[in-house]
Amino acid sequence: MNGLPGWLTDQQESADIEPLLTNADGFPLELLASESSAMTLRRFGRTISLYAPLYLSNYCSSGCAYCGYASDRTTVRRRLETEEVKRELDSMKAMGIDDVLLLTGERKPQAGFDYLRHCVDIAAARMTRVSVEAFPMSVSEYAALADAGCTGITIYQETYNPEQYRDLHRWGPKQDFLDRLETPERALQAGIKNIGIGALLGLSEPVEDALRLLRHVRHLAKTYWKAGLSVSFPRLRPETGGFEPPYIVSDQFLARMIFAFRIAMPDVELVLSTRESPVFRDGMAGLAITRMSIASKTTVGGYSHHGSSRKGQFDVHDDRGVRAFCSVLKEKNIEPVFKNWEPVYNGPNTGHVEPAGQS
Amino acid sequence: MNDLKIGTYTFSSRLILGTGKFGNTRTMIDAIRASGSQLVTVALRRFNPDQPEDDLFSALASIDGLTLMPNTSGASNAKEAVKAAHISRELSGSPFIKVEIHPNPQHLMPDPIETFEACRILASEDFLVMPYIPADPVLAKRLEDVGCASVMPLGSAIGSGQGLATIDMIRLIIRESNIPVIVDAGLRSPSEACAAMEVGCEAVLVNSAVAVAENPVAMASAFAEAVNAGRRAKAAGIMPRSGAAVATSPLTSFLRKTS
Repeated sequence: MNGLPGWLTDQQESADIEPLLTNADGFPLELLASESSAMTLRRFGRTISLYAPLYLSNYCSSGCAYCGYASDRTTVRRRLETEEVKRELDSMKAMGIDDVLLLTGERKPQAGFDYLRHCVDIAAARMTRVSVEAFPMSVSEYAALADAGCTGITIYQETYNPEQYRDLHRWGPKQDFLDRLETPERALQAGIKNIGIGALLGLSEPVEDALRLLRHVRHLAKTYWKAGLSVSFPRLRPETGGFEPPYIVSDQFLARMIFAFRIAMPDVELVLSTRESPVFRDGMAGLAITRMSIASKTTVGGYSHHGSSRKGQFDVHDDRGVRAFCSVLKEKNIEPVFKNWEPVYNGPNTGHVEPAGQS
Repeated sequence: MNDLKIGTYTFSSRLILGTGKFGNTRTMIDAIRASGSQLVTVALRRFNPDQPEDDLFSALASIDGLTLMPNTSGASNAKEAVKAAHISRELSGSPFIKVEIHPNPQHLMPDPIETFEACRILASEDFLVMPYIPADPVLAKRLEDVGCASVMPLGSAIGSGQGLATIDMIRLIIRESNIPVIVDAGLRSPSEACAAMEVGCEAVLVNSAVAVAENPVAMASAFAEAVNAGRRAKAAGIMPRSGAAVATSPLTSFLRKTS
């Protein structure tokens, strides 16, 4: 594909980490784990910040081949109405959750920007920290979300291989690879404080996706000096459409990749969700990961059980409740942190609307 | 030995502890007790009255004789830090505020411009303002001029364990300062805290070195002893360092002939 930005294709930008991913003999996993663990402890201490996702709607206009909410799936479509959003958030709050990630599908009339912004308003009145994982938006839309109290945007490129991306995104606005690639920058230009990026591991050749993801986060760090950056490591899980992952990403490779990212980016937040198994999550806590989802429901209305959709976007692998997961962390002498933010710090970042060197 | 004086407050301990990064609240409390610290800093963002188990403020309230110094960690500009200071004073009742403004959430280096602006405002509102700053002698004087109660230059980056990388700048700050100079951030071991006290710091602030030690309680106690030793050594008058031996045939013997 022509027209890819130089930072994405410049192999020098990830040359220091490439051997860690490709030379298992030269860089044994145990060695990487040891280095990653020490770096994580120094910078982040013995704590893990916890959040939970809230699926607002499963309406979607996109045809992502791997997603249980793609528009050709026969799943029942619904969105949470105002009272339902409040009830869900109250249920989460009762579990101790104070940091929420609001999710929707690709933009649809039933769940578009106005709906999302309304939900951010509701969430910001109840939760300390509100982030959004939804459809790509314009700079002005992101600015409006920041004003409403949204401090973080999560947006995965899914795969950094443009050809594979084209084949997997069969229709809809998400077909535009470059538009999606530029989305985090629009959010940062609007003053969103934290950006989470990632690749959906298993969609494409994993080493190449990992290296391009690293170049992406390094590019953002260089261009937007005030950006809080986090990297997630979602791995394809069985979903409701029977999609078979083109590539199998082993536990060994995923752990290696996460350690390599810690070594490459000592200060960046690394996130692991409930897509992963309890054994993997428990093992990775304290070695590199600093932020984890907990007690997640991937159905619309899943927390308060009032008419939730029956099928989730994917099946969670770690379905332990708050108490059970926290007790594991405590046994490992890791403090689970539910509140690590203060609403007084909400509002847009100022001062880097137009990054230096770009017109 | 004389006490540390900040505003109208006096503290017999010259070790200030941070409260983040501990594996559990019990260990944090035990470490504070073992350190003998009377002044601790706590982030406003860790205030969580809805969930007592997650609330550092209520955990700290259980320790007698402790003064809280809330901090604005998480603020990315002066406006946010000032708002956070107001909320912190209301919640804690403490006049102390550690101004901590780091617009880059990765390396957490303090922003000198926003820090100065926040300190100017808060000092005029009768806070005891304790800014976390780069080790910059000019900035330190500017902060003294606007009424800060102390300045807290970094020894090295937060959580880096790189020790007193800025020691020469810290010496300059101490030489010219009329308010307490407290090293904050970067210390890894008690010997570095001792060295900071020997060069004339009035106190040191430590968090990561205690919280991530294998035995935080024992490490807190070790830091307390090191800080005391450094203070006593400074008071005792440390032998001047000399880079050269004194010549047996004095180089200035000719001066005797000129008088």
